[in-house]
Amino acid sequence: MVAERLLEIFALMATHERENPHGVPLCVVAQQVTELSGAGISITSNDDTWTKLCTSNRVAQSLMDLEITLKEGPGHEASTNGTAIEVADLSDRSHRWPFYSPGAADLGVRAVFGFPIQIGASVFGALSLYRDSTGPLSEKQSSDAYLMASIIGRAVLAMQASALRSTISDELQGRAALDFSFHQAAGMLSVQAKLSIKDTLVMLRSHAFVLDLSPSELAQRVIEGETRFDLTANQWTEARWKNN
Amino acid sequence: MPRESLIINTLVELADNLVDHFDVIEILTLLSDRCVEALDVDAAGVLLASPGGELQFVASSSESIRILELFQIQTNEGPCVDCFRSGAPVVNVALSEANGRWPLFSPRAIEHGFHSVHSLPLRLRGRIIGALNLFRTLQGSMGDEDVAAAQGLADVATIAVLQHRASLDANTLNKQLDNALTSRIVIEQAKGIITEWTHCGMDQAFSRLRSHSRNHNEELTKVATAIVAGTLSSSDLDKPK
Repeated sequence: MVAERLLEIFALMATHERENPHGVPLCVVAQQVTELSGAGISITSNDDTWTKLCTSNRVAQSLMDLEITLKEGPGHEASTNGTAIEVADLSDRSHRWPFYSPGAADLGVRAVFGFPIQIGASVFGALSLYRDSTGPLSEKQSSDAYLMASIIGRAVLAMQASALRSTISDELQGRAALDFSFHQAAGMLSVQAKLSIKDTLVMLRSHAFVLDLSPSELAQRVIEGETRFDLTANQWTEARWKNN
Repeated sequence: MPRESLIINTLVELADNLVDHFDVIEILTLLSDRCVEALDVDAAGVLLASPGGELQFVASSSESIRILELFQIQTNEGPCVDCFRSGAPVVNVALSEANGRWPLFSPRAIEHGFHSVHSLPLRLRGRIIGALNLFRTLQGSMGDEDVAAAQGLADVATIAVLQHRASLDANTLNKQLDNALTSRIVIEQAKGIITEWTHCGMDQAFSRLRSHSRNHNEELTKVATAIVAGTLSSSDLDKPK
């Protein structure tokens, strides 16, 4: 049964590979295979290195940004606990993720699911899935999501296997791939605010949340010099801000 | 444990085990069967190259193909060997006319009742990792559409193999990924710090990190870590030449 299904998924991947010279991100395959509204993949080795790999559409992207900003949500929980997470009705369980749940609801998301990306005991990321209607996953969807998480795990390792030690494979860094701009911004801000990187990351995340910006959007502003931290006044300064 | 979660847990474990130890041979055998169903061929088989470049038999839809595949490996001639060596598909070769090309293989295949063969490369990022062989009992050529479909199935086989090979040393690779992510992040943070101190662009910041690392024969990550920890100041970095 599983072999049959794997073969179908591989066939879908091969079709994409043929039709698109750059290949199709695995999150798109995950969305198609599970027949859900969207999917996102994040890679992590611990909480501080949690990084977005790809998302299948705009809502999935905003949802992933929200998770990374808040460090709460199905993908985060799945990779932290190493178990699958299912919230069939977000409005039911808003207490679980006090900030993520209302944010996700605002995006039109009604149900979210998280699956750890792992091989053996090593967890190194999560597959986050969402649907714009409530309801649990069917048995088939659940087993397909597991298969996809496993396929993604192997794909990531295979890509990484071709990379030099202590570097990240070009494929993981390529188009629509790992987003490190947030860390560049954190470096700049740590100088401006005279803070450790760890504190700066927390500060950046909360500021992104306050401004209702994604981590990458705020990072871009910091890198462009539009958002700065003024140490003498001990406050943020925003140049060319949308509300100004 | 409530019944529902027991069932879910059992299912999950089942899926986990099957996927974690998924059997590439089972999948490739299934794929060989699919070739026979989907394409106008009577038998199919897959050969893969070992890391040393030796072809090995992996899967087939029937026993006679297994024998023929092994024969190709032994005698080092045949469609699959040609396809693997050249990286180009070998299609629509009538065995009765291929005595000159494969003096040992052709008569043997005809003996098994096959009259035409095709071999398609399993391509992985420009490398050839094996070949998919298709055998027909009738003479006559395979249409372009069938050839394209067959290459599609060969691509599926490649993905299956790639997925399998990735699992061979997951622990080491996972550690490597962990290190790589951590070092990449430290380097990006250091770039941000240098950019802010010296008012340069991210690219220049990286050049400075790199020249310092080269000049002092220290790993890039080590230099970046020192910048982030504050034990090395951006102004003490060597200027790039």
